[in-house]
Amino acid sequence: MVKSPLNSSIPSSRVVLTTVVSAIGTLALLPVRWPGMELAGIAPDWPLIWVVAWSVRRTPWQGLIAGLALGVLQDALVNPRLGWWPSHGLSLGIVGFLTALLQKDRLIQEDFISVALIVFAMAVIAETVMAVQWTVSGQRPLGQIWLDHQRLALASAILSSLWAPLVYVPLSRLWHSD
Amino acid sequence: MAVYLQTTQAWLVRELYRGLWGQRVPDTRLTDARVQELEIQVQELQTQNRQLQQLLDYKQKMPLATVAAMVVGRSAGHWWHQVWVGEGSSKGVTPGTVVVAPGGLVGRVLDVTPHTSRVLLVTDPSSKVGVMVNRSRAMGVLVGQGTGQAVVEFFDKNPDVKPGDSLVTSPFSTIFPPGIPVGKVESIDWRAMPAPRATVQLNAPIERLEWVLLHSYGQKSAELLHP
Repeated sequence: MVKSPLNSSIPSSRVVLTTVVSAIGTLALLPVRWPGMELAGIAPDWPLIWVVAWSVRRTPWQGLIAGLALGVLQDALVNPRLGWWPSHGLSLGIVGFLTALLQKDRLIQEDFISVALIVFAMAVIAETVMAVQWTVSGQRPLGQIWLDHQRLALASAILSSLWAPLVYVPLSRLWHSD
Repeated sequence: MAVYLQTTQAWLVRELYRGLWGQRVPDTRLTDARVQELEIQVQELQTQNRQLQQLLDYKQKMPLATVAAMVVGRSAGHWWHQVWVGEGSSKGVTPGTVVVAPGGLVGRVLDVTPHTSRVLLVTDPSSKVGVMVNRSRAMGVLVGQGTGQAVVEFFDKNPDVKPGDSLVTSPFSTIFPPGIPVGKVESIDWRAMPAPRATVQLNAPIERLEWVLLHSYGQKSAELLHP
């Protein structure tokens, strides 16, 4: 039986430190474009992969809070002003919440292939949440938002799911090794 | 015959010459008139030029310092088109600094740290640049599309524009200096509402930028930079 982090004692400082560093690391990867990592000018959504890896074996609320925190930090990298809207916090928060809601024991095995599949679906959901936020805020023409959404969601989902094991496997070892 | 010519001092020949060549006189008068007209036009243009240069002087007094900077990062969100460049406030870069690359306009600086600046590219959907068709002076606004291309929305119902026309920044822009090359018109949608729209192929290689030039172009109020 897998030991849930909820029941375990306080995690060691090594685990906490690696968790924080890896989360910030995914943000630091965002402005980078290495060859082969780009599809139609779009890079993998590293924070999304991290949030999925985090939420896979946690409660929905833990997923929500992690997604919110990481998303708000991502906002700081793109929004020119201190704007909360449209926010990656909302999209990643929803992603964390939904990932944790999935009944993985019953539905799918927890290996990196199913995690890649979850990342694929969650990338589409995350871009949809962003598109809905753009639509509600009315800053851009409606037709263009949903045209962009198709392109971004597909490219982001393909790339992120391909690169998901790179983030998921080490983190999974770290959190669930004992 | 010879005696006749001698005694009349070739009267007849001179009269004949007069008849043959005398017609040229009104011609030279016409040319003179044309020269005078042109001279007046030159004077007029010189006066206009002097006035325009006085206006221009006022603009050129603003510092147009140039800093070369390397692109260190691309935008951190899929819905935004930005780049991070490796020079900032320590080199005098301020929000609103105009960014160009070989080929033409790239964008403008949104905010700065001591050694980096965040640049809003002209391909970002929130970017709006006043542009002008070089050939016909037709004006429009260049709006980013989130892809490698951008679209010009013309002000005029029936602008004088055709595929292949080159676009430069408009002299009426308050954010960009006039006359920076922007791109070429690829196609025109004449049925677009409320006015025709042209798809533009941008000159600068926005997708593969490595180095950019930062031109300080006066201080801008925050309102202008974040409409």
